[in-house]
Amino acid sequence: MSKMSSPSKRARVAAFTLAILAGCGPNVHSSSVRGAGYVRVDEVIKHHPLYSQLSQLDDAIAAIQLQAAAPHVPLSAAQIAQQTKELTREMQDAQARAQKIIAQKQQDYARREQQAVAAALAAAGVPGAGQYAAQQMSATSAQQAQAAAQAAGQDFVAYQQSVMASDNAAASSIARQLQTQAAEKYRAKAEQLQQSETDLSLRLTQQDAAQSLAIKTRMSNLALDEATRKQLEGQLAALDAKEQSQLSAQRKSDAATLAAYRTQLDNETNAALREQISSIQSQTAAKINERRNEVTAQLRNLGPPALPSDLSPGVKDKIAQIQKQFQGQFQADAQKTVDEFNATQADLNRQFAALHGADVGATGAAAKELDALQKRRDDLYKEIVDQIQREASRIAKDQGFSIVFSGVDAAAGGYDMTGEVTKDVESLHE
Amino acid sequence: MNIRLATFFVSAILLAAFVAPSAIAADLSDVGFVDQAELANLPPFVAANRQLAAYKQALDQQFNSAIKGASTDADKQRVSMQFQQQYSDKQREIVGPLFQRANVAIGQVMATRNLSVVVDKRIVIFGGQDITKDVETLFMSNQAIQPPTATPGPSEIGYVDQTVLDGLPKVKAANDQMQQFASTERALYAPKLAAAKSDAERKQIYQDFNKALADKQEQLLNPLVEQTKNATAAAAQKRNVLLVVDRADVIYGGTDITADVQNELTK
Repeated sequence: MSKMSSPSKRARVAAFTLAILAGCGPNVHSSSVRGAGYVRVDEVIKHHPLYSQLSQLDDAIAAIQLQAAAPHVPLSAAQIAQQTKELTREMQDAQARAQKIIAQKQQDYARREQQAVAAALAAAGVPGAGQYAAQQMSATSAQQAQAAAQAAGQDFVAYQQSVMASDNAAASSIARQLQTQAAEKYRAKAEQLQQSETDLSLRLTQQDAAQSLAIKTRMSNLALDEATRKQLEGQLAALDAKEQSQLSAQRKSDAATLAAYRTQLDNETNAALREQISSIQSQTAAKINERRNEVTAQLRNLGPPALPSDLSPGVKDKIAQIQKQFQGQFQADAQKTVDEFNATQADLNRQFAALHGADVGATGAAAKELDALQKRRDDLYKEIVDQIQREASRIAKDQGFSIVFSGVDAAAGGYDMTGEVTKDVESLHE
Repeated sequence: MNIRLATFFVSAILLAAFVAPSAIAADLSDVGFVDQAELANLPPFVAANRQLAAYKQALDQQFNSAIKGASTDADKQRVSMQFQQQYSDKQREIVGPLFQRANVAIGQVMATRNLSVVVDKRIVIFGGQDITKDVETLFMSNQAIQPPTATPGPSEIGYVDQTVLDGLPKVKAANDQMQQFASTERALYAPKLAAAKSDAERKQIYQDFNKALADKQEQLLNPLVEQTKNATAAAAQKRNVLLVVDRADVIYGGTDITADVQNELTK
């Protein structure tokens, strides 16, 4: 007992009591809390051990976006032509790749479908099923249809490439013309300003000629004392300086006028170029669409060999089901390839637009890097938030909350669990 | 022994004071939530969205042609608005009836369960009543869904429509100013970044850019954010609302305190 009354023991008891009270946590069921808690997740994220990685990704993304916002220096006609050629080649490669993959998938699914149909016919005991199967597997008509489809596809790609090549050549030619016009206008303006500077120089010389001559005449007097001579020399120098100063002010002003004119010409050239390119591109798209429709119509007529006509309704249904199933699978699979191609095409189109002066943000390698970084950032953010939510849920359960929100705008009550969740998240990684 | 008793006594008093009977109140139990992402995966929504995507693709092509014909900024804006309107009309036509049915289903389930508010699942970390499955079942049933006869009772979960607050003159002016500043800074720093020769130089330029933006935000927007938060908390207290969330996260019910916050902010 005497031990208990010592000051250190009293302190320990008090600490114990406080610890118990602290361990009880908030009064979750008070009238101001009502079992409701909230977590400011954005705040907790800042204390998460992976936050520095998240920040780095955010910075990298923002830096690419910032760099993409830089105004592009207008390219020369030769540079535009060269880059257009490279982009066209990339586009053609992407098209050829997509066509090849789709053709391969088409063959693969067709073969599997034929096998399944042949198996269904055999299972149903259809007379001549084996013969049908052999026909399906190696029929000349199937090969012909496949060859025709392939030829139509190749023909379409060739047409597309030729249209794009000729339209790109037209675009480059227009770019050259517009840039030549702009260069001529600039040269004319520069000459005009240079002429006016020469005129000014002449005018100033004539203006001061009488005074200058008078000074020089006085200076030619051999009996002139040194002080007067110096004074006259000063006057002559002042006259020269005045002329030089006016001339230099004029030159400075002309240089600014010329720079502004250069910007104006660049803007006008880019605007005109964009307009012409847009018109060419829409004509290109219309031509390609028209041909695509023709090819699609031709291909529609190329069907698989006919099935035996005397099939029972059950077998017909079964075969229809098989065809539907494989058709659906092929479409879904082919759509993935088409989506990939569309993404590549969209990026290349943006690069075309950027080449002709449009502000389209990051393109090409930068756009790919941006996408990859964004994905990593989203995955990491999700991982962090999921962990915070798991910890918050556990604390909420332990403390008897009935509901806990994230994303609260303001609170007149409820309990802010942010501090506890933050400590918990930090301690998990200690 | 005396000490032990005294300690126990003090602890009991403290504990009693901490959980005093006067402070005890019924917990919030009338808050429901719906997983909207799951609802969006129901076949009718998937089909409608596919239809809408196909429409958008066709519309995008038309838009690209039309925008090329627009020579001035005003023309471009007019064309953009016209196509946006066309898309919104189609969206209303295709998805509108589905949204309406889903909304009525949520209202019906909410009434059955005596809920005062239904929010989006993404803002609920723990607890609450998940009514997603009930809503899905009702939505997918063939029966016509009757809208609830009574409006939900007063809720202790309030909401503010941030878009309305963003339209307040002082908020709008500050946001516009910030945007203008950011745009000017971007134009200033982007060429520097493009011309940088080393990673260290790039990092420094980017840090300077970020600092410029952060300083401006601190000076221009943060006081307004704080002011809005205080105004919202004050309005919530007056309306006996415990917590306030964004309008966009509330699906049904709840207490709208937007006008009260607006009044507080314009005082």
